[in-house]
Amino acid sequence: MATVFVTDRDALEMIIDIRPGTSLMQAITDEGIGDLLALCGGMCSCATCHVYIDEKFLGQISAMSDDEQGLLEMSSYRKENSRLACQVRMSDSLDGMRATIAPAD
Amino acid sequence: MVTKCPVERDYFTDHTVLLDPYDYFEEMRPRGPICQLETHDCLLVTGFQECVEVLRNPIDFSSINSLASSAFPLPFEPKGSDISEQIEANRDKYVGGDLVVTFDDDRHTNVRSLISRMFTPSRLKANEAFMQDYATKMVKEVVAEGGCELVSRIATPYVTMVIADLLGVPDEDRKLFEAEIAKGQTVGSIDNPDKPTDTSTLEFMGTFFYRYFQERAENPGTDLLSELVTATYPDGETKPDLMTLISLAVFMFAAGQDTSAKLLGNALRYIVDVPGLQQQLREDRKLIPWMLEEVLRLEGSSKATHRLARRDTKIGDYDVPAGTQVIVAIAAANRDPRRWGEDANEFKLKRPGIREHIGFSRGQHTCAGAPLARVEVATILNCFFDHTSDIRISEEKHGKPGARHYQFEPSFIIRGLDNLYVELDPK
Repeated sequence: MATVFVTDRDALEMIIDIRPGTSLMQAITDEGIGDLLALCGGMCSCATCHVYIDEKFLGQISAMSDDEQGLLEMSSYRKENSRLACQVRMSDSLDGMRATIAPAD
Repeated sequence: MVTKCPVERDYFTDHTVLLDPYDYFEEMRPRGPICQLETHDCLLVTGFQECVEVLRNPIDFSSINSLASSAFPLPFEPKGSDISEQIEANRDKYVGGDLVVTFDDDRHTNVRSLISRMFTPSRLKANEAFMQDYATKMVKEVVAEGGCELVSRIATPYVTMVIADLLGVPDEDRKLFEAEIAKGQTVGSIDNPDKPTDTSTLEFMGTFFYRYFQERAENPGTDLLSELVTATYPDGETKPDLMTLISLAVFMFAAGQDTSAKLLGNALRYIVDVPGLQQQLREDRKLIPWMLEEVLRLEGSSKATHRLARRDTKIGDYDVPAGTQVIVAIAAANRDPRRWGEDANEFKLKRPGIREHIGFSRGQHTCAGAPLARVEVATILNCFFDHTSDIRISEEKHGKPGARHYQFEPSFIIRGLDNLYVELDPK
């Protein structure tokens, strides 16, 4: 189980315990956090689960695919530490990570 | 104030509801965004916010009855405030209980992960040339004939060929599947109330997919079936068993058929009958995706899905005990004036917030094939515009604009035409 600190668009922080194998997007939506629309349901097709990841954990997440890269490039709020939460597969090594939900495009 | 309709129509069997489900939902809306049906022991959820809340709460709501529907009593006596174990113990009593659309929890997470990269933009791009070529060939033929019955001649065979190509189904089997699907009963049939959904078509195709997977295991290629046969679950080690792969592939093949085909028919009705829309789209093809989203909202291919409360829970402030079946009325939510405004029933290009409609559902069970449906329908519509100067709906078959008459697929799940006769003027 990994504990993740998720900050929503009102700067409220929530602590979520996530089982390995679950996607970060699924864990956040299951928690009922409405800011993360995740319209495509995790198919790497819509970029509505855009989050900023704690930089020190970035290296422990699987590399970005061309699809994810392309979708994020279309966001006005892209940063160096941007990821799509549906592409972040949780593992114990991400325990303590912080993720902030990016503004809506 | 709560007002009651004099006589509640039966959502699951009434042919007047089939013809105009939107009228039925508006009739029910005054009862509140969540109401108990008189005709069946289940809740009807028509509010947008409430539907989204249910769809995004897989912890409290099981998808076990998403195909079986809420029309029947539970096949067991629910006991206590958490019936999750009872649901799993009775899974085999539910139609489609072995299909991903009905899975919950880890089983769903695992199987869903297998398909999460299958309809990505790059994957669809790779398939685009096939879609374009096939669509062009089909459209040219019917334009040369001056028109056609769109559903059987274009929509159904086109979507069948597209998914067959993506999966890697051999040419010689594609027509067989198409014929079998055409023979089969619709999902959620209102004409067969005792057994509205049967899965015999899927079983027929399963025997073929068994062979495909064996072949791919020995000789992997680059198609999706090859990708599936080598895939692992999110733990990176466990591989799905063969039966899981077969039911997943068969479901992917079949699930997209009706819904994508119906989307094309529904879209063409709006293109022809919304004044000025056809010309607007011809002049600016970038509006096609906007048009499709508005059609998905107003008249998407799925009218409703179903959930079963597995824990004592709430929707908003409404208490929902474990064991309660819920109709999530997608078609009603997509026209909820609280979300979409007083013009919710009107067609409006570039409606603010349009991409938030739930035409493809929401949450864990959002339609995985949605990106494919959007691309394939947009591709063939572009072809129609490329090769025609005007598209008309046959007045002889369907009546004049404003007084059209159509036959709809007799389903309480699917919204779409049984047939659509169009006249096509060549360029």
